[in-house]
Amino acid sequence: MVLGANQAAGRFGQVISFSLAALAMIYLSYLLPRLLPGDFVTATYASANVTLTAEQEAGLRAYYTRDRGFGDYLLRLVTLDWGYSYSFLTPVSDLFLGALPWTILLLGSANLISMFIGFLTGVEAAWRHGSRTEKGLVGGMTVLEGIPEICTGVILLIVFALNLQWFPAAGAETAYTDATFFQRLIDMAHHLALPLTTLVLAYFPGNFLLTRNSMMMVIKAHYIETARAKGLPPRRIRYAHAARNALQPIVTRFGLRLAFMITGALVVERINSYPGLGTLLFNAIQARDLPVIQAVVLFSSLIVLCVILGMEGVYRIIDPRIGNAH
Amino acid sequence: MRNLKEETMKKDILLFNLKWIFILLFILISVIGGSPALLARETGKEVRIGDGKGDWGYPSPYRHYPRGPGYVRMSWVFDTLVWKDKNGYIPALAKSWRYDPDAQSFIFELQEGVKWHDGKPFSADDVAFTVNYFKRHPYAWVSMEAVAGAEANGPNQVTIKLKKPYAPFLAYVGGTMPVIPKHIWEKVDDPKRYSDPGAFVGTGPFKFIDFNKAKGTYLYEANREYYLGLPKVDRLIYIKTGKPLMSLLSGKADLVNIRPDMAKILQKKRMVVIENQRGWNKKLMINHQKPPFNDKRFRKALAHAVNQQEIIDKAHRGFGSPASFGLLSLDHEFYNPKTPTYNHNPAKVREILESLGFQKDARGFYGKGSRPLVVELLASNITVAGDSVTDRDGEVIKRELEEAGIQVKLINMEQASTDARIRNWDFDLAISGHGGLLGDARILNMMISPKVKGSVNSARYGANKELLNLLNAQVAEMDPEKRKRLVWKIQEIYAEELPAISLYYPVSMSAFNPGKGIKWYYTKGGVAFGIPISQNRMTLVE
Amino acid sequence: MHINVSRDLWQDPWFLVGLSLTLLFAGLALLGPPLAPFDPWDISFTPISPPSAMHPLGINDGGQDIFSELLYAIRNTVAFGLLSGFTALGIGVLLGAISGWFGGFVDAILMRIADIILAIPAIMILILTAALFQPASYILALILASLMWPTIGKAIRAQTLSLRESLHIRAASQMGGGNWHIIRRHLIPEMFPLYLIGFAAKTRMAMFMEASLAFLGLFDPSRKSLGMMIAYALKYYYMEVWWNWLMPPILCLSLIIMGFTFLAISLEKVVDPRLREVLVEKTA
Repeated sequence: MVLGANQAAGRFGQVISFSLAALAMIYLSYLLPRLLPGDFVTATYASANVTLTAEQEAGLRAYYTRDRGFGDYLLRLVTLDWGYSYSFLTPVSDLFLGALPWTILLLGSANLISMFIGFLTGVEAAWRHGSRTEKGLVGGMTVLEGIPEICTGVILLIVFALNLQWFPAAGAETAYTDATFFQRLIDMAHHLALPLTTLVLAYFPGNFLLTRNSMMMVIKAHYIETARAKGLPPRRIRYAHAARNALQPIVTRFGLRLAFMITGALVVERINSYPGLGTLLFNAIQARDLPVIQAVVLFSSLIVLCVILGMEGVYRIIDPRIGNAH
Repeated sequence: MRNLKEETMKKDILLFNLKWIFILLFILISVIGGSPALLARETGKEVRIGDGKGDWGYPSPYRHYPRGPGYVRMSWVFDTLVWKDKNGYIPALAKSWRYDPDAQSFIFELQEGVKWHDGKPFSADDVAFTVNYFKRHPYAWVSMEAVAGAEANGPNQVTIKLKKPYAPFLAYVGGTMPVIPKHIWEKVDDPKRYSDPGAFVGTGPFKFIDFNKAKGTYLYEANREYYLGLPKVDRLIYIKTGKPLMSLLSGKADLVNIRPDMAKILQKKRMVVIENQRGWNKKLMINHQKPPFNDKRFRKALAHAVNQQEIIDKAHRGFGSPASFGLLSLDHEFYNPKTPTYNHNPAKVREILESLGFQKDARGFYGKGSRPLVVELLASNITVAGDSVTDRDGEVIKRELEEAGIQVKLINMEQASTDARIRNWDFDLAISGHGGLLGDARILNMMISPKVKGSVNSARYGANKELLNLLNAQVAEMDPEKRKRLVWKIQEIYAEELPAISLYYPVSMSAFNPGKGIKWYYTKGGVAFGIPISQNRMTLVE
Repeated sequence: MHINVSRDLWQDPWFLVGLSLTLLFAGLALLGPPLAPFDPWDISFTPISPPSAMHPLGINDGGQDIFSELLYAIRNTVAFGLLSGFTALGIGVLLGAISGWFGGFVDAILMRIADIILAIPAIMILILTAALFQPASYILALILASLMWPTIGKAIRAQTLSLRESLHIRAASQMGGGNWHIIRRHLIPEMFPLYLIGFAAKTRMAMFMEASLAFLGLFDPSRKSLGMMIAYALKYYYMEVWWNWLMPPILCLSLIIMGFTFLAISLEKVVDPRLREVLVEKTA
């Protein structure tokens, strides 16, 4: 996995592509009202749970057919004027910023935990290649990798929330409690436990297998021999040298998962009724609440862009050879 | 690699421990977080009510959603003149009342020493102001059609003058009208947009603190100076939950609406389950303005084709009871036991249809000449007591009609769309549902007469003059016995004309946790003018 | 290369298990519905009944036989996955080979398009399309395929690039073989193992998406699906239905996806030259 100038240039091209993709998504969300079949207002609100008064309908039509141009659209986005949700009757930015922390909490911790656990166990397993532990782990992880998150999510819910009642079956925290900060934290962790476990179980087998495979490939490489010849203790060999090279695909994965965070946990959020962005998007789609849908689609494009760009920086850190290539 | 065995063994232990640490953390969090005691306040009791929809609008007269649960959330904050408990009418803001037939007025003696939530004193001026304000700015839940006006006679007495005798007055005005403070609303010209904190000042047992629309949660705090007594809890909270059984068992809610098949399990876990009388029905709306539905005989054929008990068995696992064809509930005090009924009778269907000129074709479906008889049936998710329920009534009815020879095209739509089409007479048959069947008999006017506007569930049937006259007469008849006889006749004629077919009464149940020391009940006749819900203001007042 | 691949494959237990599971469910998808004891849309049975001799898995809340439902659901899920996987494979192979072989401008354009598609979250597009336009399920499968082909395309392109320099390809080209002829008769057959990997991986993802969309209720309610069965069964969590109504679709879904996962993993192991080195060493 030698990284050279070629690949660096390739990555730059990738950044361009991703930016174009993000722009395409933004434009798509701008076009969304126009893409819908028929008279958009009737089509949208005829089947929504919101009945509009005549003035509201007229106002909506005027609002949406008033094409103020793509540039104005972009500007309003940046200033957080994302419009007004008609099914919740609150500004879209409020809804969005209310759900965002939960999604970040859930996905962020799930990804971090599964990254660490997957990485650590992968490295250790690769080092013990051939032992019973390794064979068992690989076997177990392969099986786990094959179980989709719907299944793990539902099983965990049924067993731990509905039958044993160790965990709540819905929500992110208990409403209106006068508890101390510490108690609230525990309450939130309590609600977070099931969806988090589901996601970790879904993510970390893949990380494990990826790490192990990457590790196996580099174990034989020259510089490992060099390190051992220098007489370094095994732990340093493992993590400092070998792992560093296996880190890159893991970090890529982490980044990608984070980039697609909004839809990444949608099913798990639904199973556990966790009020994150996935639930928000889903409810908005069901209620045909276009302002919210637009905002979420938009935001996801922007996140993808930012994360991809951010990953560039991270690659530089973990592999100094990229920087040296220039 | 092999000679590092000792090292690796130590690493094994580390990995091993890592896994155990994670598992322990898991258990720790569940145990700690699970104890609700940790999250309860040291002083003060609270009660939580779980609801499937969550968002019913702001608890202020013009802001709550136009359905039962919306009204109820407002009723904690705003008092009425009279109220109902388990047994009947009880005093609220009015400590006594009487009707003066000569003056055609109701005179209310009001409680003394009542204060608004903002500290200002309550008086008869507020009541008079409320009546006149609602006349100027109609509020959907109170019908001012028969009210001429109101006047305060002194600080504690108010007279409400009627335009004509009006039997449903206590139910629809006295017991439903929320009294609003004059000193706040006299400055409000556009009540629908008024959202200042002043909109939530009432005299009720609870003060409104917070409402989160997106989460569907409400928070109220006790009004310690409530004139009827101290509320039993300090805080009242509504939460939104899709799993009522789970919420009740885990302590997240203390009162929830449940499905009938949850009853046994809850009772085993020592929850109290209460069942309502039959105040809500599923109804088959008929577009009697177009052929062949404009012919009474065809509507009767439909009634014979439908099998009420089968719908209950197939679509609701036996939970429910067949409805009276006279619209009023079997449990209503004015129910007419001699109301005509229509049994499931395919032979009768054949007889009627053939007498109307329909012929059966090769596939067994009726048609006239070359045109087959195809009927469009609209079905949707209906909101029952606040929870949206999907059901298969449509499929069962379709099968029943087709077995009788009437081809059916079943269309599933969302409730708002079905409502819109019904309103515009753009349908053949539609499955709908509504409550109020245990309240004042005025519900018959609301659900039959084309002149009473408001409900999308109304049959709007004007073809029978006698029926319309009786409907007008019954609301003006102040003598209960005479009124009962009028209502009996109405049910008889309605069941003969069949502008809509009442199908069944579903089983309506709630469950609560007795450990909180509060005994919830279903109000006789329904809350206010007939909301079949188990949340009555008085339950939380000493 | 071919002979070695086969030998290693057949000796790999994961491959064998994966293959059996896949064949089993493909068989069920084909033969299941005709052999189903009842019409799954027949609502004439008593709802929520426990299993009996006539109804091995009992009856669901609508009065339908669960076992028959399961068979139809398996077919729908597998069909969706296969359609999507094949199409993604087809597009990916074609565009990847063209991209790698012709290089230059064509390559640049195609790869940029691929990158753009990669940045779009597939599930969001699918959800939006399914909810707002309610197309038929095979259209959704095709849309998904059009979002999944880039990874296959890139792998094929990489392999094409390396094969392009190999002796026999250069010989063929020098002997006068036209571009399309070489692509068709030489390149494409050579990369067969890559297809299997790509196909297995994408079919797996497609079936996963189908189950998720069905669980969220975005398909036509009369279309049977494993995800939908799970969602309905979950509603009755408080009744004793978890073992006859909830677990069968969960098990089937897990086994189907596991099957394809094992196939993909074992194929990757065997085909990736760097991994193979290590394996070879193991047996030495």
